[in-house]
Amino acid sequence: MKKYIMLLMILILFTGCNNKDNKQIVNVLNWSSYIPDEVIDDFEKEYNIKVNYGTYSSNEELLAKITSSKKGTYDVIFPSDYMVELMKSRGLIQKIDKYRLPNRLNLNKIFLNQPYDYNNEYSYPFLSTIVVIAVNKDNIKDNIRGYNDLLNKKYKNNIVLIEDQRIVIGMSLLANRYSMNETNEDSLTKAKEWLLELKNNIKAYDSDSPKTFFITEETDIGIMWNAEAEIAKQENPNIEIIDPIEGHAISTDNYCIVDGSKNIDNAYLFINYLLRNEVSKKIVEEYPYISPNNIIQESNIEPENIFKNGYYVKNIGEHITSYDRLWADIK
Amino acid sequence: MKSNNKVFKYIFLSPVVIYSIILILLPLIYILFLSFCKSDSYGGVIYNFTLSNYLTIINTTYIKILLKSSLIGILTTFICICISYPFALILREKKEEVRNLMTKLVMIPFLTNSLIRTYGWIVLLRKNGVINNTLLGTNIITKPLELMYNNFGIIIGMTYTLLPFMILPVCSAVFKIDNNIIEAARDLGAKPLQIFKNIIIPETISGVFNGSLMVFMPAIGYFFISDILGGGKVMIIGNLIKNQFLTARNWPLGSAISIFLIIVTFLLVRVYQKTGGKLDDLGGM
Repeated sequence: MKKYIMLLMILILFTGCNNKDNKQIVNVLNWSSYIPDEVIDDFEKEYNIKVNYGTYSSNEELLAKITSSKKGTYDVIFPSDYMVELMKSRGLIQKIDKYRLPNRLNLNKIFLNQPYDYNNEYSYPFLSTIVVIAVNKDNIKDNIRGYNDLLNKKYKNNIVLIEDQRIVIGMSLLANRYSMNETNEDSLTKAKEWLLELKNNIKAYDSDSPKTFFITEETDIGIMWNAEAEIAKQENPNIEIIDPIEGHAISTDNYCIVDGSKNIDNAYLFINYLLRNEVSKKIVEEYPYISPNNIIQESNIEPENIFKNGYYVKNIGEHITSYDRLWADIK
Repeated sequence: MKSNNKVFKYIFLSPVVIYSIILILLPLIYILFLSFCKSDSYGGVIYNFTLSNYLTIINTTYIKILLKSSLIGILTTFICICISYPFALILREKKEEVRNLMTKLVMIPFLTNSLIRTYGWIVLLRKNGVINNTLLGTNIITKPLELMYNNFGIIIGMTYTLLPFMILPVCSAVFKIDNNIIEAARDLGAKPLQIFKNIIIPETISGVFNGSLMVFMPAIGYFFISDILGGGKVMIIGNLIKNQFLTARNWPLGSAISIFLIIVTFLLVRVYQKTGGKLDDLGGM
């Protein structure tokens, strides 16, 4: 009996080796809960390429993974706007041959040619999201249109904010009609005063999932990424999603190919597959971010408005210390 | 034979020594080294010697955070002491088996991850949580109490998480007191308060100090409790360090604050030694 088991194990070992040698692979590193499993399975079946799928939960973690691993460990990654710029400057990602991505033509032009990567030399947009105000209309009847409406004393302890210093300080700067990436000390002082005024109304900061505060009715107002708000709305249809009149932060995650990738052909196939309209639709149906593809989405945010009044978080160099101190001051 | 013993000693000691060097000493040296470096604007580290990180800490903003954290830490420590003494003194009178059982029960929460236990508190404390719903349902209150997303929530979380670190050393110190001394005091007419003040406190002070150190230091550093139960509205030193490493991407400053904390711990131990405490007692659980 033992002998047979041994034999079987050896056989399994060898089949394992064989598989590894013949089967095509692509090594993908993506944000956690971002692509439904079904989409990956379909790709594997259609192209007979195995997808080794890893995840990360912040751009910084991605950067750490790319810089600390051996070249060629990863093929396709999904950095956000400012991280594309950073990785470009450090030579961590390679130029994209756009002719190998025919499905790029499915993309809405307004998502292309963004400030972090003009002419899309290194990246193509995968999904975008913007900061919105979500309001539970069951309990709040007022007509809230922007950040300044939130200063109303009525909303004491009733607001949840996304735990992100650049987004929160950026919001305050926008509310005071400054640029979202302002570094001037006077403007930052104004932003600080505004946030201190808002402080009484803030119930909590949450980085994981502000939507839970709506689902448990802990708060009636929230400032969060639109995808979070859409999920909360699925739970409670009376949640209204408002695009703030003062402007909003945008974040776009992008397809990039890592420098030194060993499976470039498969990487292009994978990206081109995800660029299909029907695939993108499937993704945003599960995770309600904003697809850059020319598809119709169940969302009240018009693609035109995303960029008209939207701003990316930019690298502000050593001024980050001022932001950090401001952040500590308002807590 | 003797040299043989020595070889055995080294063999048995080596795992601990290697463990300590790789996982404690080397990272600490690295942090110390980083704290004298500069950070570049992209979150990298420039290996130039500078003292600027330490100078940055001396700033009203950061000092305020230090004071606020210390206040939370002191309050937590104080509450823990207030709970631990009666617990230990009552157990002291009980049989050996009861004592063992109770001290084991104190340890049981350690079997679950503290993060998960902290999330458990949300279910109890939130606006529609168990406590508020019960009180509202029985008409004891008319408006939900604000039990979390404020300092109160943080103190509850800290006390709950850190209480065992106080109970265990206090218990072991209280159990060690010689019964004869207390009986002698009683025979000589000492009142319970006098016994507590003149015998129990001096005999157990090292245990209390040991517990205080193990409660106070984490209480100013456990950022997940202030994030979860304080709603991220209160920043303690732990959050400050975490922010330097994750959001502000200023590793050198984060390291400098960490080193600063280590120095504070050393100073506290020195104060303890100066006031007559023995270093051995600190490890004696």
